[in-house]
Amino acid sequence: MNKALRNPLIYLIFVIPAFVLFLAFFIYPVFTAVNNSFTSWNGISKNITYIGFDNFVTAFNDAAFWKSVKNNVYFILFSCLIQVPLIVIFSLLIANVKKFKGLYKTAVFMPSIMSTAVIGILWGFIYNPDFGLANKILGVFGVSPVYWLSDKDWAMISILITNAWQWTGFYIVMVLAAILAIPKELEEAAAIDGATGFQRATKITIPLIMPIISVVIMLSIAGAMKAADIVLVMTKGGPAGSTDVMATYMIRYAITSFRHGFGNSIAVLIFVFTIIITVLYQVLISKRTERIEY
Amino acid sequence: MKKSLMLLMTLIFVASAMLAGCGKSDNNNAPANEGQTSTNNGGNEAKVNDEPFEITIRHTQVGESKKFRLAMLEDVVKQTQEAVPGLTIKLDAVDSEVNRKEKLRGEMAAGKPPEVFDVFGSPDAALYAKEGLMLDITPILDELGLKDKFTTLAPFTVEDKIYGLPIGGSIEGFFYNKEYFEQKSLKVPATLDELDKLAEAIKADGKIPFAQASKDAWIPLMTTNNLWSYYAGPEITYGFKTGETKWNDENMIKAVAKHKEWVDKGYYKKGELGFEYADMRNQVVTGEAIMMMDGSWANSVFRDAEQAGDMVGKVGFFNMPPVNAGDPVIVMQDANNGYGFSAAVAEDPRKLQAVKEFIKNMWTDEMQLRGLKEDGVLPAMKMDLEQMKTTSDDPLMQDIFKAVSEIGTSFPAFDALVQAEVNTALSMGIQQIIGGEIEPAKMLENIQAAQEAANAAAQ
Repeated sequence: MNKALRNPLIYLIFVIPAFVLFLAFFIYPVFTAVNNSFTSWNGISKNITYIGFDNFVTAFNDAAFWKSVKNNVYFILFSCLIQVPLIVIFSLLIANVKKFKGLYKTAVFMPSIMSTAVIGILWGFIYNPDFGLANKILGVFGVSPVYWLSDKDWAMISILITNAWQWTGFYIVMVLAAILAIPKELEEAAAIDGATGFQRATKITIPLIMPIISVVIMLSIAGAMKAADIVLVMTKGGPAGSTDVMATYMIRYAITSFRHGFGNSIAVLIFVFTIIITVLYQVLISKRTERIEY
Repeated sequence: MKKSLMLLMTLIFVASAMLAGCGKSDNNNAPANEGQTSTNNGGNEAKVNDEPFEITIRHTQVGESKKFRLAMLEDVVKQTQEAVPGLTIKLDAVDSEVNRKEKLRGEMAAGKPPEVFDVFGSPDAALYAKEGLMLDITPILDELGLKDKFTTLAPFTVEDKIYGLPIGGSIEGFFYNKEYFEQKSLKVPATLDELDKLAEAIKADGKIPFAQASKDAWIPLMTTNNLWSYYAGPEITYGFKTGETKWNDENMIKAVAKHKEWVDKGYYKKGELGFEYADMRNQVVTGEAIMMMDGSWANSVFRDAEQAGDMVGKVGFFNMPPVNAGDPVIVMQDANNGYGFSAAVAEDPRKLQAVKEFIKNMWTDEMQLRGLKEDGVLPAMKMDLEQMKTTSDDPLMQDIFKAVSEIGTSFPAFDALVQAEVNTALSMGIQQIIGGEIEPAKMLENIQAAQEAANAAAQ
């Protein structure tokens, strides 16, 4: 067997099927999208005209495009600055719970297995200006009704909260697994030395789970860059494009308008922006937190 | 020995998996080739050939609400199959949005749409027709004497050639709470000024004058479109694409300013930018709002006790009134959804015959009246008003018939006359107006810029 595996031909035989699938379902579509992004193709015509970088110039000169980029940045910032700390806090709390740990895990994980359409409808009720739970609670404190999804000042934050609610549980389960994998002796030794619960969490647990937190941040960034479904379900990018992200901008201004060349250029930009941000994150932050030594 | 055997087994497994994949591919090709051969044979011996052949009709009559329309289609299919020897019609049901936005587009991009398919006239059919993917049915309509029998074929007409036929028609106007009008001694308005006063009185009474839900911009644009057709004339919309008229015309600004005035006066429910289409109807059903601009198709909601509850029989309909008393009533009257046919049908005389027979059976006075009676959809074909009135004694339908009879000038909806990207800019603009983000002049300036870009791209 070892002899056989030294033969490059055998390697090729094993690799080729996967490589062919990778080429067909990843490399080829990416190449096609990049190629189409330099055209004015309407998605139907056999005659495809190459127009150089015109689609990219159009996007860069469109204020609505930059507004959608800004909304993607809000998604990232909300994920990294609010959602991730909450994930860590809840994970620490659940990890230290003595009873019903399984119940808590299941409860927080539940939203992530629900379809986005269901979540959109559910939160649509919560945000309803007349009878929604959000305004009912605010009403108790004498706050006048907020038009969560109709007011451009509130629509984006409403979506961000809903999106965070949907995915927080998924990441909590990941972080929780990392916390539970830390050898018990470390915590016990610290406790014997007189470390408080807060000290144990900040000095022992969090440093040891930094690699998984780093993965959570990476996944959050990637998720934030390709966000579309939750926006479509809740506001359709409205009111007046105020909640458009790059993906919904692409649908609104390109796909529904038979501007597939332009749509592909936006898709390429999403791809490029995502790569830049994740590479920057990897190089500047993530690499420093990769190694753990118990 | 064992290792060699395992390696051999692995290789056999990989090789057989690859061969199995190839084998499946061959199997898939086989019937397609056979079908093609049979089609070609059919084409050569068309006149007396009764060999079996098949065409596919892609329709969107899915779900309970479309059961009457599906029954009509099935009857037409039966008649067509009986009339064409050897013909089998395969019905392919797909959700309307999925068909329009994904499936049909994909098939068009591949150059292989079904022989008959549900299609929207503008901008979809116009684009497919320009790419040579749709059958020019003008000669068929001439032969069947149907060409002049439709209220409008504008959405399906490209350079004087007709590429599809609408299945039904509609007008846009105000549904209103008749009971409330009677209680408050209110009258159907004869001018826009009277409509203004009516709205003011309803608001003063603590009710919402107009139900509206602007999450989807086409809903408020029904009001805007009818307003600008009064202020700037219905013909102005035809000139945007050619550059003869401009969106930022003085009278267009007046029309949008009127819509904005209604928003600013609080004639619509606050927060309506976040409401769905169904919410708008619920405002009328619950009595929260008194009037609602909508297409005549909404009659089915107010005639159905399950949807309208106690409001059944209490809702009426009137056209948006003109600016000055006695001026002609100008109303959006459209027919943008129907069936189109694949250009490939022209290469096969038997399929062409099947399509001709389908058209002959589907677009008859009888079918149009059946659609009106069972579904409340106005006929796409010209129809005697008295004949229409006989299909229903429902008071709401009678109101709609009356509104149709009052129309002085009708026009197709703006989205049948401008490019899709202009529609996108207009949708954005009207939401900005409702949100108080922009002034009418600036909004229309932005749309004009989008129009000029679209016109330049088309050239």
